[in-house]
Amino acid sequence: MTLQLINISRRVKRNWIIRNLNLEVGDGECIALLGPSGCGKSSTLRIIAGLDKPTEGQLLINGKLVNNISPVDRRVGMVFQSYALFPHLSVAQNLSLGLKVRGDSLTKQKEKVSSILSIMQLDEYSERLPIQLSGGQRQRVALARALLRDPYVYLLDEPMSNLDAQLREELRPELRRLILSGDQPVVYVTHDQHEAMAMANRIAVLNNGTLEQIGTPEELYKKPSSLFVARFIGRPQINILRSSTNIIKAIRPEDIQIKAEGIRCRLLQKEWLGINQLIYLESPKGHIKVICDSRKSFSDSIYVDWDESNEHHFDAYTNKRLN
Amino acid sequence: MIYLLLITPALTLVLIVFGFPIVRYSWLSLHSYSVLTGLDVIPNTAANWVRLLNDDRFWQDAIQTIRFSTLSVSIELVLAIAIALILHQKIKRRGLVRALSLLPWALPTTIMALGWRWIFNTPYGPLENILNTIGVGTFNFLGDPRYAWLTTVIADVWKTTPFIALLLLAGLQSIPKDLYEAFKLEGGNSNQSFLRITLPLLEPYIILSLLFRIAQAFGVFDLIQVMTGGGPAGTTESLGLYAYLNAMRFLDFGYSATVMLASFILLVFYCLMLWILLSISKRIYELII
Repeated sequence: MTLQLINISRRVKRNWIIRNLNLEVGDGECIALLGPSGCGKSSTLRIIAGLDKPTEGQLLINGKLVNNISPVDRRVGMVFQSYALFPHLSVAQNLSLGLKVRGDSLTKQKEKVSSILSIMQLDEYSERLPIQLSGGQRQRVALARALLRDPYVYLLDEPMSNLDAQLREELRPELRRLILSGDQPVVYVTHDQHEAMAMANRIAVLNNGTLEQIGTPEELYKKPSSLFVARFIGRPQINILRSSTNIIKAIRPEDIQIKAEGIRCRLLQKEWLGINQLIYLESPKGHIKVICDSRKSFSDSIYVDWDESNEHHFDAYTNKRLN
Repeated sequence: MIYLLLITPALTLVLIVFGFPIVRYSWLSLHSYSVLTGLDVIPNTAANWVRLLNDDRFWQDAIQTIRFSTLSVSIELVLAIAIALILHQKIKRRGLVRALSLLPWALPTTIMALGWRWIFNTPYGPLENILNTIGVGTFNFLGDPRYAWLTTVIADVWKTTPFIALLLLAGLQSIPKDLYEAFKLEGGNSNQSFLRITLPLLEPYIILSLLFRIAQAFGVFDLIQVMTGGGPAGTTESLGLYAYLNAMRFLDFGYSATVMLASFILLVFYCLMLWILLSISKRIYELII
């Protein structure tokens, strides 16, 4: 199963929300749409689901043009950021409602719901209302509803953004096991690059409604195609070096080594992070951050150096990658 | 224990404005207190209540009050749901339309009751004129004991529907859009989403406006007083009007208190029946949907 977006654009009044977006999500592939808020990632998802119409372009699911196909017939399994559980219905009723309106018999509904409840380990909560569940449980109900849909495409809109960091980490393997292991394409919207890297096969970075770059997490990290991607991917953020030419040079904090001699810097601040530490330096090329072993201790003057082949070069006007 | 302290001011206020009159009326209803007793308060055991039970005018007014409240609140509710749904749509100049739709409610009751009295006037009113012109014939709207109460229902519906619509609109706005979208993806059409999402989630707002309106309609006074004065032949007279007449015209405060208290008991009983009816219909609704 595949999902293809060909030259998809969406305009609301005079604003282009999405411009000429091309995307192909293959069999069982998970693509993360990553970008700051307002970049068009949620809009893209809504267009795929059929909740919004594209102004231009074609949308294909399994090779079939679905631009004019109703949302239900596109058969997408969507998990909303808010989970969108029906507050007046119990967990079991939430799950069976879709089956009911699509015309499944009562026995079939019960069978499907009870099997999904046991897969999701929600059996004991089946009679509870959403408000009586924890955040993680609500999220599992939302996932269960998407799974029950037996969809052609999974669409996950910031599925974990309402959960605390620890729960997020716990749910990642579950999400992988349940949804990412299937043969359906998955589109995963997030603004969290860690989550994108952890979950997705490929990441599409969006900025102002256009696709900045698409590639594996490694490609994006090692060869960001623009300054925007370089700054968006990788934490702590990439160092931009002061330069007098039309070339913007950047180096990642983890590619800088502390040496006995090299560029002389002054220590400004330290952040101790456990396995390593982040130090803020004032160098002749501006302020830079360096990641190094947490056992190291420093005096006020520090000498650093880096391999020039690790530098990322960008055009100062177009911000596109040069090297 | 601190919560007791915190609710004390509100509780005191409720007791003063609500508890005190009830206690006072209960006490008064067990006494003769009128111009005939020289405004002396004389205990009369249950004479007022015996009189009430045998008072045809009271029972006629009770039935009138109940049918007036039932009919006008039912029509108002249905219309208000429709209006709220329209006002909830993305229509042009939505703010202006919403403000305009509230206008009937903002008018003082006496003013709009005068207006309706003129509209229904025979033979000079505009409605009569229109019906005559198109050849439907002549009606004596305010003078016919069979239909006069319906004109007060129309006026009440006209005035109060916007208020319920506003309450329900607030309810509609509290329903997250996500729910409709999720339901759409699951295959629900717009009828189903109204029946399965909108209506159930609007339920608390519907109950609230029902309670508001029924309590208000039971005590209707100004609208009736201005439009018909209780006539013709007392067919539009409400319990509120009757209690007022007893106190202010017949100067029989003991009996007036009895009528007031009886209408309060009737209201409680009515709400109880309504509650039972609503619970049953909710069960049935969930079964057939």
